[in-house]
Amino acid sequence: MLADIGLFALIVAFLLAVYATIASAWGGWKNQQAYVESARNATLLVVPLLTISVGVIVYALYSLDFSLAYVEDVSSRSMSPFLRLTALWGGQAGSILFWAWLMSGFVAAVLLRKWERDRDLMPYFIAVAMLTTAFFIGISVFIINPFARLWHIPGATELTRAIFQPAGAMAYIPQDGQGLNPLLRHFGMIGHPPTTYLGFTGFVIPFAFAISALATGRSRSDEWIRTSRRWTLVAWIFLSIGLVLGGRWAYDVLGWGGFWGWDPVENAMLLPWLTGTAFLHSMMITEKRGMLKGWSVMLIILTYSLVLFGTFITRTGVISSVHAFSKTALGPVFFVFIGLTFLGSLALLLKQRDTLKTKHEIESFMSREAAFLLQNLLFLAITFAVFFGTVFPLISELVTGTKITVGPPYFQKVTGPLFAVLLLLMGIAPLIAWRKQAARSLGRAMLIPFVASLGVAGIWGYSHRVHPASFFALWLVSFVVLSIFFEFWKGVRARMNAQSERPVVALGHLIGRNHRRYGGYIIHLGVVMIGLGFIGDAYFQQESQRALTIGESMSIGDYSLRFDNLETFPGSDGREVLEASTSLFKNGEFVRTLQPRRDFFVVQQQPVTVPAVHSTPATDVYVLLVGWEEIGLQSSTFKIYLNPLISWTWTGGIVLILGTFIAVWPQATGKRRVSYSLKPGKFRPQPSAGD
Amino acid sequence: MTEMTTEAITEAPGKRVWLSGLGTVLIYAFVLGVLGLLGWGLMKVNSGQRESGMAPDFTLTSFDGESVTLSGLRGQVVIINFWASWCPPCREEAPYLESTWRKYQDQGVFFIGVDYADTEKEALAYIDEFGITYFNGPDVGTRIAQDYRMDGVPETYFVAKNGELRGTKIGPLFPPELDQRIEELLAETYAGE
Repeated sequence: MLADIGLFALIVAFLLAVYATIASAWGGWKNQQAYVESARNATLLVVPLLTISVGVIVYALYSLDFSLAYVEDVSSRSMSPFLRLTALWGGQAGSILFWAWLMSGFVAAVLLRKWERDRDLMPYFIAVAMLTTAFFIGISVFIINPFARLWHIPGATELTRAIFQPAGAMAYIPQDGQGLNPLLRHFGMIGHPPTTYLGFTGFVIPFAFAISALATGRSRSDEWIRTSRRWTLVAWIFLSIGLVLGGRWAYDVLGWGGFWGWDPVENAMLLPWLTGTAFLHSMMITEKRGMLKGWSVMLIILTYSLVLFGTFITRTGVISSVHAFSKTALGPVFFVFIGLTFLGSLALLLKQRDTLKTKHEIESFMSREAAFLLQNLLFLAITFAVFFGTVFPLISELVTGTKITVGPPYFQKVTGPLFAVLLLLMGIAPLIAWRKQAARSLGRAMLIPFVASLGVAGIWGYSHRVHPASFFALWLVSFVVLSIFFEFWKGVRARMNAQSERPVVALGHLIGRNHRRYGGYIIHLGVVMIGLGFIGDAYFQQESQRALTIGESMSIGDYSLRFDNLETFPGSDGREVLEASTSLFKNGEFVRTLQPRRDFFVVQQQPVTVPAVHSTPATDVYVLLVGWEEIGLQSSTFKIYLNPLISWTWTGGIVLILGTFIAVWPQATGKRRVSYSLKPGKFRPQPSAGD
Repeated sequence: MTEMTTEAITEAPGKRVWLSGLGTVLIYAFVLGVLGLLGWGLMKVNSGQRESGMAPDFTLTSFDGESVTLSGLRGQVVIINFWASWCPPCREEAPYLESTWRKYQDQGVFFIGVDYADTEKEALAYIDEFGITYFNGPDVGTRIAQDYRMDGVPETYFVAKNGELRGTKIGPLFPPELDQRIEELLAETYAGE
């Protein structure tokens, strides 16, 4: 009964979404406001309807209503109530519905804002955004319906899934479900899909604005770019959080000692993040200087196309093939949809490209504009390299008949140097003025961070002489961090002199007065910290593997590990746990006990290796239990990784979120401006001060 | 496109128009190329396993260095099983496969284990663990798996005495399914026999 309500709400939501698409496009074309208003109301109705559908599924998962095939797929009696709720995004059918729900929420939120000068963008904005939403709701209704039930047709060997009762079939209600894939039972994987989906679906907003601006010929004005900026940042930060959580999950659960494996599924998320980041920066020049308009529009179209591309390859298993969600009608339908989106937006962009021409040109290569452009080109180069590596298995199979997967070495070699230049630019660009910068004053501005970073890198690199490139990498990080700190220091000192403020107060006011700029710097700091994790992973990781009997030790770097005990016991969520107790020593002194485990999920017959990690800012000790003999023999094999600097990645993720919050915080009130104009003679913003 | 071209002419000589036209063509070619590639990949994913017709021929070299060619096994029923040491469901069917092999090995039945995307050390440990005695070798470059459009492990393909495919089993085999399939295939007779 409840399921029928959910299904009904889903179908009505689909019809309304289709109606909103058509009515708004018609209203925009014929300039009839009434149709647009009606489309807007229909859009706003889709959200509560989908909320009902999602609510029904969540309740069914929680209450273990196995009459629904989806509940049988991802929920089970042995799962805790919390895990049952997260099973909403644990399988294809639920996650598509969840996706559609989030997207409709974003679109509705935009429609609830004030539409003033950009009111004529609304019709096509609704049309584009609701077309996409209708597509995803349509998949949920027609292809992988979460309300499908299991039926037994006499004589058939397998059960049939259908919404309505097939002729002669009997309803089949299993006693228990298969439960969520054990690998997904981790906080990283519980938080990763919602944040990633929020990021992915959020990009539909700037995309719909861009297409609407192109279609109405309003792309000449900058208004839509201002509106899109905050929405883009929202999508971008969720995508960033999704990336960090995904990395954390891989590190904690997959047990190969790292957090980023350049897997097609990971790349699928990274690609839109790269172009999205480029877009956020190019947008700033468009806003400040009215330049690179066409470029910005192209970047947002590219970002959204990559979102669809990523969703397509992960959902259809075109690239990562083994037992993905293949052989449904989803693939062909999705293919047609992304084909139409790519070609339609490209045709529109090319048709309107003369409206995107700008008067200003870059005046000097030593200017903030040029630095931004170079940064954008670097991001695009990295995007292309990652894209090429991701689709390479398909290309190789087409050309040579053999699927050749390019591994992490390709990605590291190609993108490493590009990322290094990007980091360098991150340290220098904020010091360069708009329009034109004299080389000499730039040199002066960079002098202190440059000299200081050489000192830091010299000492730091000398104590970790593993690889010559590590010196350079550590210098780079030091330089960027110091130049950001130096920018903060200059601002704080100026305020302390001008306003006689204490340093902490001055810092607070500095950030408060120009939160976009200083929020941006904090985001940069977060990125550098994440980069530090990658540097540690690339140059300093050590590993060692040995079989130990109880009481024996093995050592790696300054650490040694003693095997104390091995025991087995039944754990929660239907697993058998095999846990080793080990003692970790550093330079002979006891640090703590570590308990690497192997969990065996009985129903799924799936083992999961759970590492034990001792994490410090300098290094992580990552211990895996990789092999064991019968308990009585008291011998086990351990693998230890020393992962220097990796914990900075997680800290960096938090700093990144903090910086984004500061950057999107609504513009300060005029009150502080008054205090600024009281002493115009003393306090002068830096000539390079931008946003 | 026409308004854009005329405006470009007033702005710059013909060369520029030509270049921008070329750029447009290249962009479309790139996007269509990417779409073509994805479409082709999708067709391959969606085409499913081979189930009938002549079984694609292959030569497999075992872990011991011996070779076997499928077309050289005409007159025998051939069971081709794709597996991997990292695949938990494979472990469920391994004892059943081995015992069935022992039962039928003298009755004109040949088993080929194709080790898919695996490392030799782990694979040999797996063979050792289950005491597997039938022919086993690594699928180098996953060529055999691609020819059979295999979708995952374990998968088993049943080849009749005349070399034709007689169906596929996706997922592990449990008694008595394999015995039944072998009996059916052994019972097949052909004109002229």
